[in-house]
Amino acid sequence: MLCSYVRRMALCNGQFCKTLFRVSQSLPVVCTRSFHPSSAAPAIQAPVSKPEGRTKCTLIPGDGVGPELVYSVQEVFKAAGVPVDFETFFFSEVHHTMSAPLEDVAKSIATNGICLKGILATPDYSHSGELASLNMKLRRALDLYANVVHVKSLPGVKCRHQNVDAVIIREQTEGEYSALEHECVKGVVECLKIVTKAKSERIAKFAFDYATKNKRKKVTAVHKANIMKLGDGLFLKSCQEMAKLYPRIEFETMIVDNCTMQMVSNPRQFDVMVTPNLYGNIVDNLASGLVGGAGVVAGASYSAECVVFEPGARHTYSEAVGKNVANPTAMLLCSAKMLSHVNLQYYCDMIRNAVNRVLKAGKVRTKDLGGQSTTNEYTYAIINSLR
Amino acid sequence: MKYRQMSLAAVMAARICMKIVPHIKSSNYLPQFGIILRKAATQSDFDIQHKTPLARRVAAIPKAQYGGRHAVTMLPGSGIGPELMNYVKEVFRYAGVPVDFEEVQMDPKSESNEDLEYALTSIRRNGVALKGNIETGSMSRGVLSRNVALRNELDLYINVLHCKSYPGVTARQKDIDIIIVRQNTEGEYAMLEHESVSGVVESMKVVTSENSERVARYAFEYAKKNGRKKVTTIHKANIMKLSDGLFLETSRKIASDYPDIEHNDMIIDNCCMQLVSKPHQFDVMIMTNLYGTIVSNVVCGLVGGAGLLSGKNYGDHYAIFEPGTRNTGTAIAGKNIANPVAMLNAAVDMLEHLGHHYHANMIHTAIDRTINEDHIHTPDLGGQATSIDVVQNIIKYLQETTKTSNW
Amino acid sequence: MAAQFIRRVVSNGAPLARYYSSEVRKVTIIPGDGIGPEISAAVQKIFSAANVPIEWESVDVTPVRGPDGRFGIPQAAIDSVNKNKVGLKGPLMTPVGKGHRSLNLALRKEFNLYANVRPCRSLEGYETLYDNVDVVTIRENTEGEYSGIEHEIVDGVVQSIKLITEEASRRVAEFAFTYTKTNGRQKVTAVHKANIMRMSDGLFLHCCREAAEKFPDVKFEEKYLDTVCLNMVQDPTQYDVLVMPNLYGDILSDMCAGLVGGLGLTPSGNIGLNGALFESVHGTAPDIAGQDKANPTALLLSGVMMLRYMKLSDHADRIEKACFDTIKDAKYRTGDLGGSAKCSEFTDEICRKVQSG
Repeated sequence: MLCSYVRRMALCNGQFCKTLFRVSQSLPVVCTRSFHPSSAAPAIQAPVSKPEGRTKCTLIPGDGVGPELVYSVQEVFKAAGVPVDFETFFFSEVHHTMSAPLEDVAKSIATNGICLKGILATPDYSHSGELASLNMKLRRALDLYANVVHVKSLPGVKCRHQNVDAVIIREQTEGEYSALEHECVKGVVECLKIVTKAKSERIAKFAFDYATKNKRKKVTAVHKANIMKLGDGLFLKSCQEMAKLYPRIEFETMIVDNCTMQMVSNPRQFDVMVTPNLYGNIVDNLASGLVGGAGVVAGASYSAECVVFEPGARHTYSEAVGKNVANPTAMLLCSAKMLSHVNLQYYCDMIRNAVNRVLKAGKVRTKDLGGQSTTNEYTYAIINSLR
Repeated sequence: MKYRQMSLAAVMAARICMKIVPHIKSSNYLPQFGIILRKAATQSDFDIQHKTPLARRVAAIPKAQYGGRHAVTMLPGSGIGPELMNYVKEVFRYAGVPVDFEEVQMDPKSESNEDLEYALTSIRRNGVALKGNIETGSMSRGVLSRNVALRNELDLYINVLHCKSYPGVTARQKDIDIIIVRQNTEGEYAMLEHESVSGVVESMKVVTSENSERVARYAFEYAKKNGRKKVTTIHKANIMKLSDGLFLETSRKIASDYPDIEHNDMIIDNCCMQLVSKPHQFDVMIMTNLYGTIVSNVVCGLVGGAGLLSGKNYGDHYAIFEPGTRNTGTAIAGKNIANPVAMLNAAVDMLEHLGHHYHANMIHTAIDRTINEDHIHTPDLGGQATSIDVVQNIIKYLQETTKTSNW
Repeated sequence: MAAQFIRRVVSNGAPLARYYSSEVRKVTIIPGDGIGPEISAAVQKIFSAANVPIEWESVDVTPVRGPDGRFGIPQAAIDSVNKNKVGLKGPLMTPVGKGHRSLNLALRKEFNLYANVRPCRSLEGYETLYDNVDVVTIRENTEGEYSGIEHEIVDGVVQSIKLITEEASRRVAEFAFTYTKTNGRQKVTAVHKANIMRMSDGLFLHCCREAAEKFPDVKFEEKYLDTVCLNMVQDPTQYDVLVMPNLYGDILSDMCAGLVGGLGLTPSGNIGLNGALFESVHGTAPDIAGQDKANPTALLLSGVMMLRYMKLSDHADRIEKACFDTIKDAKYRTGDLGGSAKCSEFTDEICRKVQSG
C-alpha cells in the first residue's frame, strides 16, 4: 500500500514538475546574457509563485555608502527582471532636516510588509536632545524586536576561519538600549537596562522557531547571568523554559565573555545563538569580522507583521562615500533574503548564485576583500553572471 | 438545587475517572499515599480537563508570526492525508501565501506516545495546525486515540462545521447553509469506560456546565457576528435528563443574553429526520459530542459528500483545521481520485483564522470557480476528473489572479 | 544604593607606599582552588630561582561567616593585602548559589580595584590564527553594568542599573594614559557605545577626552564597541591600549585572550586605590588538579606584571624572557599548548633559563 502510494506521489510530482517547468520558462529570462548563450534553460526549476504580479518594497538608502549600495541592488534587480517596485525614503539622523518623518516611513513599511534598508548613522549627540536614536525609534515604532544575522563563510573570501555558519538572533527593543538615562547627582549617570519576561520569551521562541524552520540543530543562549542575576537571569530562565517546548533542538547556555572567546577560537561550534540586545551587537560584529567584514554579512529585523532587511554589521563606512569602493555583497544578500521572504525564491536563488559565482571566481573583488575592483565593476560582474 | 445535583454528578464522575485514568495513561501515574490532591502538579492537561474542568488555565505562548509569515504545524496523517497536504503546499506556493509549515509525521503503528507528544508541543508553539486524519493503529489501552488526544490535550472544545451547498454539485438538497457547533472534548467521548462486573461495561458520559457554556457562548457570538438568525440546541434531554438536561439548560441560559437571536431546541432523532426532509429550517446548531458526529455526517451527505467540507476546532489558545468528516480514506489513497477540496477549504479556513484574508479569498474563489463554473469534479462528486486535474485548475485561476495583483 | 556607591568611590585610600628596590618586600599570595596551589608553587619556585627580593605571605580566602552572619573573606586575608599592598592570586572557585557574592567581586570591592589590565600578546612559537596580537585592555572595574543594582519592578520586568560616575571614569582614563606612557606604548583607544547610551557612555567618553588633553604625547582615538569587535578579529594590529567601561572590558578582554590562545596564557592585573592584585583569570580546572599537568604561564606572567608594578623590571624581564623562550622551544610545553611536559618540567626549564640567563 505504502509502496503504491509513494509511486503515486512520485508521479504527481513528475506532472507538477512539468507544469512548473513550463511556468519558469515563460518567465522573462532577461538574465541570459551573451556570456553563456547555451544556458537558456534556467538553472533553477523551482516554481515562482508570482510570475508577473509585482511586489512593493520600502527602500531606505541610509547614510554613508548606503545610497551607492542601494543603487547597485537596483541595477541587479533591473537586470534580473525582479518584479519589485521600490518606494524610496530619505531617512537620516545626520541630515535630519531633509529626512522623511518617522511616521511616514513606518507607515510605508507597515503597509508593504518589507523594507530594504541601508545603515543609519547615529551621531553621539542628537540634535533634539533625545536619548533614543532614529534607529531605535524606527524599531520601536514597528516593534522590530528580532534581529537575525546569518554569518556564513562565503566561497572565495579568504579569512582566518572557514566554514562558519552561525545565526545570531538578537533582542533589540529593550535591554541596554532602553534610552532611559539620567544624571542623579552631578557626575553620576544611571543607565537603566530593562529586561522583561514577555520580550525574553518572545525572542527565545523566535530563535527556536527559526531553528525549527531552517532545520538547525542547536540554540545557544548568550548571557551574563552570573553577574546580572536578575536581569540576565530572567532572560536565561525564559530561554530555558522555552527550550522545553522544543525537545528536538539542542539547547545550551554560554556566558558572553566566554562566548566571544570561543567565537574567535572555534566559531564552528555555534549554530543558532540567541542574545539580549547589547551582547547581540557585540557577537554580530565579531562574527561578521570572522567571515570577511561588514560588507558581506546580511541581516534582517523582524516584527510580527513586517521585516526590515539590512546589513548585519551596522557600519556606514562614511569615509568611503563617493569613492566607488564599497562592497555591495551584504546589501545584495539582504535583497535576496527579502525575495525569498515574499515567495520569490526563483529570483532569490538567481541573485545569490550570481554573487557566489563572482566571489568564487575571485577575479572581481572590492577592496575590503583584497581586490582592486570598484563597486560598479563588481555590480556588473554580478549582472553578467546572472543566469 | 438542580445545579447542585449536577455538580455533584461531575464530582462523582471525576472521582471515577481518577480510578480509570491510570489505565489509560502510563503506569507511573498511580496515586501514592492516598493523597489525591497532591497529584495535581503532575496531572496532564487531559487529566485536569476531566477532573477539574474549572481549574484548567493554560498560559499563552507568544504567537509564531514573524515578519508577516506564520508558522503552522502540519500533521499529514495517514491515508489520503499526505497527498492532500502536497496539494495544499502547491496551491499555497502559487498563491504566494506567507505561511511556513512545520511538518510533523506520526507513525500510526507506533506503540508509544512520543510522536503525539511532539505534535502537541509543536501545536502549542505555533498555535495553529492543519491536519489530515490520523490513524491510531495500536489497540492497546495505553495508546490514546491520536485525534481525540489532540483535541483533549489542547482543550479544543469547539468543532465548527460550515455546511454550505455548492451550486455546481448535484445533491438532493439545494442551498443548504448550516453552521454546526459541536462540543468536542467531553460528552460520550470522555473515553471513560470500564467493565464493572464481568459482561457489564459502563461508559461514562460527562457533561459540565463550564464546557456547555463555552460552546453555547461561542455559537451565539458567532451568530451575532455573522448575522445569523437562529440557534438550535440538539439534545436528548427527555432520556438523559441530567447530562443533556444540563447542556440544554445552559444553552437556554446563554440564549437569554442574546434576545435578538431566536433559540429553540430539538431532540436528536427528530433533528435527523428534519435534516433530510426540511434542512432549510436550520441555521446555527449546537450539540454535544456524539450528536455532533451524527449530524455533521448527515449534513455532509446532503451537500454532496465528505470531500468538500472543512472543519475547524477551536480552543482558548489553539486552533486545528481539518477536513470536515474525519475519514482517512485509506482505500483511495494513492489513486489520484481523492477530492482535494475539503483539505483546501480547511487551508482557507486557516488563512482566515490567521488574518490572511486576501489569500484566503483568492484560493476560495479559485475553488468555487473550479467546482461551480468548470464542473471539474472528482469521482466522489460523480465526475471523472483526477485530484491533480482539480488542483491544476485551481492553480490556473490563482495564476490569473496573481498576475495583476500588487501585494 | 547609588549613594553607597558614590561614597565608596569617593573615599580615596592612602597613596601607595614606595620602597627602594633593594629591600625585601612582602607580597601576599592567594594560591586559590583546583590547580591553584600547583601553579602558585611553580611561580614561587621560579621567583626564588631568579632571586627576586620578595617574601611571600600565603593566605587563605575560603569564606567564613562574619559577625553579621554573612559569608565573607577572612579578616586575616584582608589585613595582609592591606598591609602589603600587593598580592598575587590563583584561580578561585565561586560557589554557585548560597547567596554570597562571588569572591572575585568581593576582593575587588574590598581593595577598591578600579582598573583591570590585561595585556594580550601572541606568543612566539605557539601558533594561533592570529600571530601579531599585542593589545592591552584596561577595564573600569567598579561600576557600570556590574553595579549589582537590580530589581524586579513588576512581575516579569527586571531593571538593572548601569552606573557611570565621573570620578571612576576619570580615574580609569588617567590610569590608561599613565600606563601607556610608562610602558612605552603609543595609542589609547576609548571603546564606547555613546551613540546608543548617550549619557552614560557619553560621560565616560568625555572623561577620556579630558584625560587625553593632559597627555598630549599619547595618541587618542574613540571607537564604537561594535567597530572594535569587527576590526579586532580582522586586523588586531590596529589597536594598542583599549580603555572601556566594565562590561565591554569583560567581553573584549576575554575575546582578546581568545585571539592569542585562551585564558591560560593571559596575565591580568587589578590596580586599586588600596593596593594591587595580580591574578590568573582562567578556571580552577578541577579535573586536572593535583596531576602536575597545569600550565602556570598565566600566573607567572601576572607575577611578571606585578614585578613591573613594583618597579622590579630587571627581574621581570629576565623571567618573562625565560618563559617565552621555553614556550618557543616547544620542548617543555604543557598539554594545553599541545606538548606533553609536566608542570614541574616546564617550571624547572624556566628556572634553568632564569639562572643561566
